[in-house]
Amino acid sequence: MKRIGPLIVERRLAPPRHVVFGVSVLAVVVALLLAALVFWAYGVSPWRAYAEIGRGTLGTVGGLSDIVRRAIPLILCGVGLTLAFRAQFWNIGAEGQLLAGAVAASGVALFLRVPDVLRLPLVFLAGFGAGAVWAVIPALLRVKLQVNEVISTLMMNYIMAYIVEWLVHGPWKGPTMRGFAYTDMFPVAARLPLIAGTRVHWPTLAVGVAAALVVGLILSRTRLGYEVRVVGQSPDAARYAGISFTTVLALTMVVSGGLAALAGVGEVAGIHWRLRSPSHISMGYGYTAIIVAWLARGSPVAAILTALLFGLIFAAGDLMKSTLGLPFQITGVFNGLILFSLISSDLLMYWRIRWGKKGEAWT
Amino acid sequence: MNVRKLWLLVAALVMGGLLAMGADKIKAGFIYVGPIGDYGWTHAHDVARRIVDEQYDWLETVYIESVPEGEVETYIDQLVRQGCNVIFTTSFGFIDGTFAAAQRYPNVIFAHASGFKRAPNMATYMADFYQVYYLNGLMAGALTKTGKIGYVGAFPIPELKRHISAFTIGVREVNPTAEVHVRWIYEWYNPAAAKEATEALIAEGCDVFAFTEDSPTVIQVAAERGLASFAHYSPMYAFAPDYVVSGQLVHWEVIYDDFLVKVHEGVYTNKNLTHVDYWWLLAQKAAELGAEIGMPVNPQYVAPLQGYVIDHPTFGRISVYDLVFVRYNQMADPGITFDPFEGPVYDRKGNLVVPAGMWMSYDHLITMEWAADGVVGPWPGEP
Amino acid sequence: MDLGWLVSTVSRALAFGVPLLWGTLGEIYAERSGVVNLGVEGMMILGAYAGFAVAQTVGVPALGLLAAAVVGAAAALWHAFLTVTLRANQYVSGLALTLFGLGLAGLLGRGWEGKPLRVPLGAITVPGLAEIPVLGPMLFVDQTILTYLGVLLAVILWVVLFRTRWGVVIRSVGESPATADSLGINVTLVRYLCVALGGLLAGVGGGYLSVAYRPSWTEGMTAGMGWIVIALTIFASWDPLRAIWGAFFFGALYHLSFRLQAYVSPELLKLMPYAFAILVLAVSGFGGARWRRRAPGSLGIPYVRGER
Repeated sequence: MKRIGPLIVERRLAPPRHVVFGVSVLAVVVALLLAALVFWAYGVSPWRAYAEIGRGTLGTVGGLSDIVRRAIPLILCGVGLTLAFRAQFWNIGAEGQLLAGAVAASGVALFLRVPDVLRLPLVFLAGFGAGAVWAVIPALLRVKLQVNEVISTLMMNYIMAYIVEWLVHGPWKGPTMRGFAYTDMFPVAARLPLIAGTRVHWPTLAVGVAAALVVGLILSRTRLGYEVRVVGQSPDAARYAGISFTTVLALTMVVSGGLAALAGVGEVAGIHWRLRSPSHISMGYGYTAIIVAWLARGSPVAAILTALLFGLIFAAGDLMKSTLGLPFQITGVFNGLILFSLISSDLLMYWRIRWGKKGEAWT
Repeated sequence: MNVRKLWLLVAALVMGGLLAMGADKIKAGFIYVGPIGDYGWTHAHDVARRIVDEQYDWLETVYIESVPEGEVETYIDQLVRQGCNVIFTTSFGFIDGTFAAAQRYPNVIFAHASGFKRAPNMATYMADFYQVYYLNGLMAGALTKTGKIGYVGAFPIPELKRHISAFTIGVREVNPTAEVHVRWIYEWYNPAAAKEATEALIAEGCDVFAFTEDSPTVIQVAAERGLASFAHYSPMYAFAPDYVVSGQLVHWEVIYDDFLVKVHEGVYTNKNLTHVDYWWLLAQKAAELGAEIGMPVNPQYVAPLQGYVIDHPTFGRISVYDLVFVRYNQMADPGITFDPFEGPVYDRKGNLVVPAGMWMSYDHLITMEWAADGVVGPWPGEP
Repeated sequence: MDLGWLVSTVSRALAFGVPLLWGTLGEIYAERSGVVNLGVEGMMILGAYAGFAVAQTVGVPALGLLAAAVVGAAAALWHAFLTVTLRANQYVSGLALTLFGLGLAGLLGRGWEGKPLRVPLGAITVPGLAEIPVLGPMLFVDQTILTYLGVLLAVILWVVLFRTRWGVVIRSVGESPATADSLGINVTLVRYLCVALGGLLAGVGGGYLSVAYRPSWTEGMTAGMGWIVIALTIFASWDPLRAIWGAFFFGALYHLSFRLQAYVSPELLKLMPYAFAILVLAVSGFGGARWRRRAPGSLGIPYVRGER
């Protein structure tokens, strides 16, 4: 506690939601002011820049749909990551799990002989399964062999990326692609329906939102959710409470990886309709989702909002390149500034400023 | 003149004005896959864009760099919104997005580099180098002492396979036992990978280098060891003036110039592009021999190349230096009289792939998967 | 395998491992003091840019490396300010630093592209030692001074960390800052210094890329090395001596992935180093506690006086 004139500044343990929200918005505003300086340095009037960005993203149907389209994989990966982070499992591997989903989905879409009605459900199931398997491996390695999950999940991202590369250059290279490294197009029955006039593949969006709600409920209302939180807070306490560390962690990662994989399913079945190089399938969604999950502060439902925020940032980056003609690196600077600002504001939330009463002591 | 006629006249004038304006002003948008400073593919397209932009008053150009391949539609939307009436997309991976956008914007003219899908309002274009790679191969074959030439490739796709095979055919024409050792880095741009691939080839005894990837790394690494190399795509002579022998240079501007002038003159419209496919080579001046514009062979290498004399089945005793220019003229003169893939050509497994006296068709060229005799190393997708 | 293979593989492993070694040594110190810095990639690329820009302008490669070190340290201090003083989330701050660094370096680097460095940092031949058969060409030619400095630095940093009072201070801050604090150690200062050292070394690693390894500047030229550094730090179990083996082992695998292409599918070879990293950790997991060293106890956790 500190006294500054008539004001008392004191720490609080859990900031209420409105404070978190308010301070976060303030942080974004500060970042926008900083970015304005960058625009100005590049000879673009900040007013014009923000007007163009606002018009191009929030002001048109096309712009709005682009935000949502970018947010879909971020929601799915982000929700999964909030769950893993609750269990204190540092899953950096959403990117690889996403790609695993894309691979399995492509395999089913292109090569499995099933009736058309079954194809899309199977695409989703296979995708989820592949992501779950890919994510359970680091969980088991951690439990059984004490392999640090940051390293295993990070390495597995690279491994999956090269597997995708191998598939599109090798066995899955499309006969109609004239030797280029792409699979053939998915049959129509394996393509996701889009909201008319946009590229928003709504089934994946619906799954993402539903997943956020369900995971939110599991975390707050069920025994499993309780166990996840205990495991996250103190593995020792979990042991005393008779909770199986292995089972809880494995389940957590099945869901976390499975959801990230569905993001990959959405990208290949909703956007590209084929498997292609890893960097084309994901714009680093799995990594961005780490930030999405952190900003959501452990709440899967809040991850929908933070995912939309990053959808907006992606879309704004597009506009900076195209409409404002700024060099593309400016988007990295812009995103960095926003993040710096958001995390610096973190501390602010834990402090409260109020009028001091007479005679309140200094500490 | 009554009122009605007056109105008609006004209407006609306005319409005429609008039409004239429409054809008069062209706003061309360029979508690039990499950064304009990549010193490779995108850099070359941007140089060409600036050249045509300065050339014509009726032309305005804009560009967007570093567009991810799967995201091209979003950027096309934005260019159309900005009023672009001609849009160039410059990467094979833009094929689906460009084709979809061409359906969605029937009044906009599209041109897609290196692809094969066309529409009434979508053309394709490509400047290719296989002829120049063949000429480089002639020189490389003369310069190698170990009989091993290193080649660093980005991806094993038909374009590179065509280049490497043409290069190898050149090598073997002057040095029938020489080998071309290939390493893939699986990236268009990764200097560290290119460097280690080159080092691996050096360790295997290669002493002359060529490559297809977007940085001058191979040249720099070879030069450190005092080994000769061939440049790719951009003027790279300055990176190692003592060691860069020659190379390929691209002139996309001749294609952009031709295309945009024809749009301007109304020759190309949004209705008649289904069969417009540029496949421009040496003869159209879309490709140039050399590592620096206007310098086909590094003067330091003229003497060694003149000193390497062979018995040629067609030309008798001839120095490789002279052979390069004889072959160059055969391919660069309008009535082309030679092609590197002139049959009989055998692949490295001994199959006859081009029968005697035949040339390869365009379709065969752009889909070729086989490796010419003399290529050593992994060749994914080899038939 | 004849000796030629061995010689070239070891020689390339050293050259490719240098930026990894410097970066890893830095990250080890940062993490030993309890601060994860995922911004290695960002610090390295800023170092690469600064190194090239200064070396090209001044014409002295050593000054380029110095600039790279300063810029890397400055970027790290920013991370320290956010995570130590403002107690921001270390993972997110590091990610932000990577994004920001890649963007800023790319932005500033426009116009420097496509130019070879006037005076690169050349390879040296160690007098005498280079004459030794096999070992000479393997270890003592074709390397820049940074290879040897890196190894020397690793030894020094190991001694400092495990054999001096400073090392005890650093490790106790990373293990249990509250205890360290109660003993009168300035936790904030130690963390600032360690993080700054981390950035300094990462900066040099980046500078090596643009001033020596491939003397020119290109957008994104670190190409993910910063992430490998993060992995190597854990791989080396926060031990500077093990970092030497880790960095050069990774360098060897990377080089071999091109050497062996003629025999094994290239994509499989390219994923080999990453699979190997996991495998080695898993195998050492069998080895029990003697092989495994735990992460610093308060890694990633901001220190607040009076809590915990």
